[in-house]
Amino acid sequence: MKRIILVFHLIFVLLPGALLAQQRTVRGVVKDATGPLPGATILEKGLPTNGVAADMNGQFQLTLKGTSNTIIIKSVGFIEQERKVPADNTIDVVMQVNAQGLDEVVVVGFGVKERITNTGSVSAISGAEVRNVPTANVQNSLAGRLPGFVSQQRSGQPGRDASDFFIRGVSSLNAEGNRPLIIVDDIEYTYEQLSQINVNEIESISILKDASTTAIYGIKGANGVLVVRTRRGATGKPRVNVRVETGMQTPVRKLSFLDSYQSAMLVNEAIANDNTYLPADQRTSLPFADADLKLFQNGQDPYGHPNVNWYKEIFRPYSMQANTNIDISGGTESIKYFISGGALSQNGAIRDFSTSQSEVNSNYLFNRYNFRTNLDIQTTKTLSLRLDMTGRFGEINEPFAGNIVSEIYSFRRVNPYSAPVLNPDGSYAYARGFGIQDNLPTINARLATKGYNRRRQSDLNILVGGTQALDGITKGLSFTGRVAYASTWDVQRGLFRLDNPPSYLFNPETGAYRIKSGSSYTLGTFGLRAGNDRDNRTVNIQAYLNYDRTFGKHHIYSLALLNQNNAVSFSSTPSRFKGYSYKIGYDFEKKYIIDINVAYNGSDRFQAENRYGFFPAVGIGWNLAEESFIKDRFPIINLLKLRGSYGMVGSDRAPNDQYLYNQIYFNTSGYSFGEAHTGVGVIREGALGNNNVTWEKETKADIGLDMNLFSDKLSITVDYFNNRRFDQLVNRNSTSAILGVGLPAENLGIVRNRGWDGQISYINNIENVQYSINGVFSIAKNKVLFKDEPLQQYPWLTQTGHPINQPFGYTVIGFYQDENDIATSAKPNISSTQILPGDLKYKDLNGDDIIDENDMSAIGRPNLPNTTVGLTTGANYGGLSLSILFQGSFNYSLSVMGTGIEPFQSQFQPIHLERWTPENRDAKFPRLTQVSAASSPSAYPSDFWLVDAAYVRLKTVELGYQLPTDRLPIKLSNARLYLSAYNLVTWTNYNLYQQDPEVVSATAGDAYLNQRVVNLGLQIGF
Amino acid sequence: MKKYFNTIVFAALILSTWSCSKDVEDVPLERYTEEYLWNTSDSLGNNASQFLVNIYNYTPNGFNRIGNDFLAAASDDAVSSALSVTSVQRMATGGITPFANPDNVWGNYYAGIRRATMFINNIDKVPLATKLPSGAPLKAAWKAEARFLRALFYFELVKRYGGVPIVGDEIRTLNDNVEIPRSSFAACIQYIVDECDLAKTDLRLDPVLDADAGRVTKGAAYALKARALLYAASPLYNGGNIQENSEYTGYSNYMVERWKLAADAAKEIMDLNSFQLLPNFKNVFITYPNREVIFARQGGNNTNVETTNGPIGYAGNSQGRTSPTQELVDSFGMLNGSTIADPAYDPTNPYKNRDPRLAATVLYNGAQWLNRTLETFEGGFAKPGGVIQQTKTGYYLRKFMGNFENANAYSNVNRNFILFRYAEVLLNYAEAQNEYLTSPNAEVRAAVELIRQRAGLNPYQLPVDLTKEQMREIIQNERRKELAFEEHRFWDIRRWKIAGNVYNKPLHGMLIQKGTSGVLSYQEVPVLTTVFTEPKMYFYPIPYDEVVKNSNMKQNPGW
Repeated sequence: MKRIILVFHLIFVLLPGALLAQQRTVRGVVKDATGPLPGATILEKGLPTNGVAADMNGQFQLTLKGTSNTIIIKSVGFIEQERKVPADNTIDVVMQVNAQGLDEVVVVGFGVKERITNTGSVSAISGAEVRNVPTANVQNSLAGRLPGFVSQQRSGQPGRDASDFFIRGVSSLNAEGNRPLIIVDDIEYTYEQLSQINVNEIESISILKDASTTAIYGIKGANGVLVVRTRRGATGKPRVNVRVETGMQTPVRKLSFLDSYQSAMLVNEAIANDNTYLPADQRTSLPFADADLKLFQNGQDPYGHPNVNWYKEIFRPYSMQANTNIDISGGTESIKYFISGGALSQNGAIRDFSTSQSEVNSNYLFNRYNFRTNLDIQTTKTLSLRLDMTGRFGEINEPFAGNIVSEIYSFRRVNPYSAPVLNPDGSYAYARGFGIQDNLPTINARLATKGYNRRRQSDLNILVGGTQALDGITKGLSFTGRVAYASTWDVQRGLFRLDNPPSYLFNPETGAYRIKSGSSYTLGTFGLRAGNDRDNRTVNIQAYLNYDRTFGKHHIYSLALLNQNNAVSFSSTPSRFKGYSYKIGYDFEKKYIIDINVAYNGSDRFQAENRYGFFPAVGIGWNLAEESFIKDRFPIINLLKLRGSYGMVGSDRAPNDQYLYNQIYFNTSGYSFGEAHTGVGVIREGALGNNNVTWEKETKADIGLDMNLFSDKLSITVDYFNNRRFDQLVNRNSTSAILGVGLPAENLGIVRNRGWDGQISYINNIENVQYSINGVFSIAKNKVLFKDEPLQQYPWLTQTGHPINQPFGYTVIGFYQDENDIATSAKPNISSTQILPGDLKYKDLNGDDIIDENDMSAIGRPNLPNTTVGLTTGANYGGLSLSILFQGSFNYSLSVMGTGIEPFQSQFQPIHLERWTPENRDAKFPRLTQVSAASSPSAYPSDFWLVDAAYVRLKTVELGYQLPTDRLPIKLSNARLYLSAYNLVTWTNYNLYQQDPEVVSATAGDAYLNQRVVNLGLQIGF
Repeated sequence: MKKYFNTIVFAALILSTWSCSKDVEDVPLERYTEEYLWNTSDSLGNNASQFLVNIYNYTPNGFNRIGNDFLAAASDDAVSSALSVTSVQRMATGGITPFANPDNVWGNYYAGIRRATMFINNIDKVPLATKLPSGAPLKAAWKAEARFLRALFYFELVKRYGGVPIVGDEIRTLNDNVEIPRSSFAACIQYIVDECDLAKTDLRLDPVLDADAGRVTKGAAYALKARALLYAASPLYNGGNIQENSEYTGYSNYMVERWKLAADAAKEIMDLNSFQLLPNFKNVFITYPNREVIFARQGGNNTNVETTNGPIGYAGNSQGRTSPTQELVDSFGMLNGSTIADPAYDPTNPYKNRDPRLAATVLYNGAQWLNRTLETFEGGFAKPGGVIQQTKTGYYLRKFMGNFENANAYSNVNRNFILFRYAEVLLNYAEAQNEYLTSPNAEVRAAVELIRQRAGLNPYQLPVDLTKEQMREIIQNERRKELAFEEHRFWDIRRWKIAGNVYNKPLHGMLIQKGTSGVLSYQEVPVLTTVFTEPKMYFYPIPYDEVVKNSNMKQNPGW
């Protein structure tokens, strides 16, 4: 409507000029990324009265009257362009979306807001910007694009690779209590549901970060809110869009392990090391003789002395993924529709080992099918109805044989000399030899025969709603009601063999095969199992009155909302949430703005009298650029807004989602009486109840600055925030166990979380080349102020005052270099004989000459980055477009232990070659030992193992080519070819681990390897 | 009307789902609350009974209790066979700290104490009408069971930590002050003894009906009292207090009467005539009904002990977790009752003509097991070498297992972990009485001889002219052999205050080489050097958390 008025207005004003005598006539077509753009204004430079509007097909014709030979092309929501008129007097202009104009709207809770009148802290991105990122999950595509959005992709497994994400870091000591609220089309979603949304369906994504925008969600708003809007139809002819993509996944970091010869050498060395402190008669003989080493080296005995790179044998160099999407949208005045369907398949990284006996797909894989129908029906002039239906069907497949990455790492399961891949006759071999503990058949044998585990996910959502305009009562008033039903239902199906396949030891000297003792000669049949994994059903009812009216210079708007959510899952007690929210805002000439939000809501997690809470917030804004003292003096400033908000929001996530006010007594089986042991049920007293339990609260203060300069080409947004989370539900730490019973979580913890985030973008064009640079940064530093910690014996043991999840450990001051060094230095008080030169030497903080828990202090940083940055640069030329995103995370630490790094638990890795030896005293790794002891990261966590995991990634690259419209076959309106990539290059500053920097710390680091994806896509529209 | 049809339909749709009726509960109703427990209308006391039974779960289950090892592997009787540094090895090598104690039972026993007190305080609300076969009310017996268990939990704490806070009969809750100071060692012993005296009047008589086998009986209360008094009279506490002025670590002086009290308490059980030694030592641990057992932690029908500790190399994948030491093997003397200094001992055939309890406690090279002759010589199937868990000493555990010498495979064994048995009472009596008298009398000898006779020693009699010191040595050794792996030795060497001598030196195993002619050669080799810092390690450190969380808590000396 707005656009039509504008065009009409322009035509009316400019028409007289067009009737004058003419010199040159410029013709052309205005387009945007999807096709012709109707309604753009074309002006002659230096003669602003001379202009025309493009017609419905984007075509225009302008007669120039001045001398500049330059035209200016403008359209609402797009970046203004200036173009020289070429000799042939024809110009095709591709307009670039302006995401930062003044009239830009952002989606907030239950509505949209113009950027200019928004007082809160909101970051938004359109679906189109992330649609082509080749990843299955929307949260993976957001890294580095939204200020305040922090994510870590912990695994690359198809179907389970969704990133963990947080808004402005974390501020609750409860692990569960930091998850942002996810709202899709005003309905609450779970993390899992979000990760299954097809990005193609998304219109826009916003994150709400401060009190004024989250207060409307009251008790659920403290962790920030991620708001997703899906696409809807617009009046017009049906538009069909088809996208077909196919991609190649390769691991971000390939694993490399030492070969048999090197491994055997290191085994011998470790045993020799351990022998040095044993009496002569107790020493273990070295497992590998020189002859063995020689055979490993020259490979002349591939069956007796195998040398197998198991990583290469088991994993493919690359695996494929494919994604297809079709959507149709359009509508008339009475009905508008958006219908879309998508199919995604991601294949796993394991080779196909299936045989005629076991034609099963035991590879990792993920298939997903999505559909969505969004309908808007204008039934009467005043009543519009809405019907949204969306469904997702997914399937995740995993080998029954277990976590294959973990298998590959585990020295006790597999090492290069443990077995040949297959025996000469094609039968399976089993792992044996020094260090092998389980003598299992080789990984390929188990992958081939043990079957799979498959999880089928179904997800169905229906939303019915409508808006009744109540202008009859008072102008600007409307009533909206919605009922949303969401259900997820997962079923596991496993086809498996518990027994291992027959496996043989081949003796190359005699040519004989000997079956593994105790195993069967035949392969058993598969077994089947199935089980219901998840069953959730949610009904959400919302009703609200909306009022929005302008009286001259005064604009007032208001919203009164009732919101109820009932959720059921299996047999657990249904949970119910009820809320009433009220919002009122006022602005004067869009210059002075005030917003007040209050929520009054409750959750049945709490005792009836503590159930409801009141969450108020206020936001104010001042558009300085509208003041004459700025407007007149600094015309380059298009927008200069100061805004601030303060308020309180809550979080009702309780640890384990228990009914904490209720003391629990468990009925379990547990003891037996009688000579024949008749089981007797027992009743156990569970943790005490806490009658005063209530939700966590957070006060959020935010001060922000929005600034647009140079005709909106440069846009800056910066926010400072200071949040204080209190009444956190944590267990009391200062109560003696003499009490004799578990404690409930109490509202005790206090954490402060403060920082900065913001965005700077610049968009411009040089002739036909349009380019943009967009930098995003987020800094969120939290500090635990109170966690009911007892007074520690040494100040460095105190956890209060450090960030949430601060690692504690020993401080390494080098290696013990010789016996004398050991004798004169502090050492761990486990049997002192096990400390040898080459072990890690720790700092004795309390000076008692013993290294023990008293010497542990805060080391490194938590595993969640407190600083993340993103830099997107893009350029368009003609039909060509290029967009590059660099993303970096800083200030966090990572450690890996167990099978991830420790010798004899992990296969030998290249870093083990750099171990301490008397000849290599300035080593990168402690001496090798079979006894996991004083240098081990699991027994003695230290800053040696905790590395700064900062990284910078070439996160996404997209290169596209829009085929010229006139060359397209007759029916096509649009065709685009693109090449996109994800996780293309990573720079990180450590080489201790063969790990992706985003894996979870203090684990074996054996999550499925994160993947790099290179993807080719074709998009056509008609 | 038609004009508004859509509006009405829409409004009705919204309203139909906004119903106010409560069709689902909003609190979990499936959970037990206190009202269910102490049901004032249940004359059978079903729920209260289940609450009581749960208290039994806090009793120690000694089979591979410490990180999958026997506590004995932290004494000089055994070492863990595990390849990595295990919890018990840390204990044996002085690795206990206030932060990390593999045998940290503080929280467990205070939880048990709380629940026992809850039961004692509340059971009177339940109108339990049932009577015992003896005609006594069941309610009083139940209450006494809880009372005994509570006393047992205190005793388990006291032997580890010295005097501990006695919380009494008050049930504390969320905001109550639990910064309770430690009570003195003397007060704790007195409390345990008083509680046993109180409990024993109402407890069931031995023996009980089959269905109640495993419940606390009168004998248990007597036995706990006797053991508590024996400990209290022992050198560590009675005259040997490691910190002179500390009331938490013992008495301030030596009083010979404490031995008298201990001897009398043991004699009381003997005079009950409810218990007697089983004829066959091997079967004591796997036989029901069993009049030797006074109180046991109930176990079940399983092969757990066999699969965890049985020798490797047999079908069924036993783990061979426990390696008894040469020191323990040597403590078993000869069949004729003498030590291995006796000429009957043959170093080239060391397991011949030994105390029969050796074969019932330890599996050695050449022993019959699962229809096969055990090979623990180097390279034998049960000691093949390489990086797999196997005996470190040449011995495997035999005690507690079923009689599988001539079986093909393990089968389920009905087995409990015995906490009190009559043999211990006899030894308690002998020890206390010997210490009380200036020289041992016939009663002392008789008690020990009962044990030796049942063991199958021939002759089992002791010389009549033994001095007190000689007798002490015999009793201590008898105790070691008879009660091995039953969680006695670890505490005995502490209360006798000999741990400083027992530890701090290497423990040994037997390295057996099979020569080319098949002749075995035996050589003792060290396997683990133990560490014990005197005097602080006579007590466990109070856990670090308890010290920082309780401002009234005093740490033990030296920690």
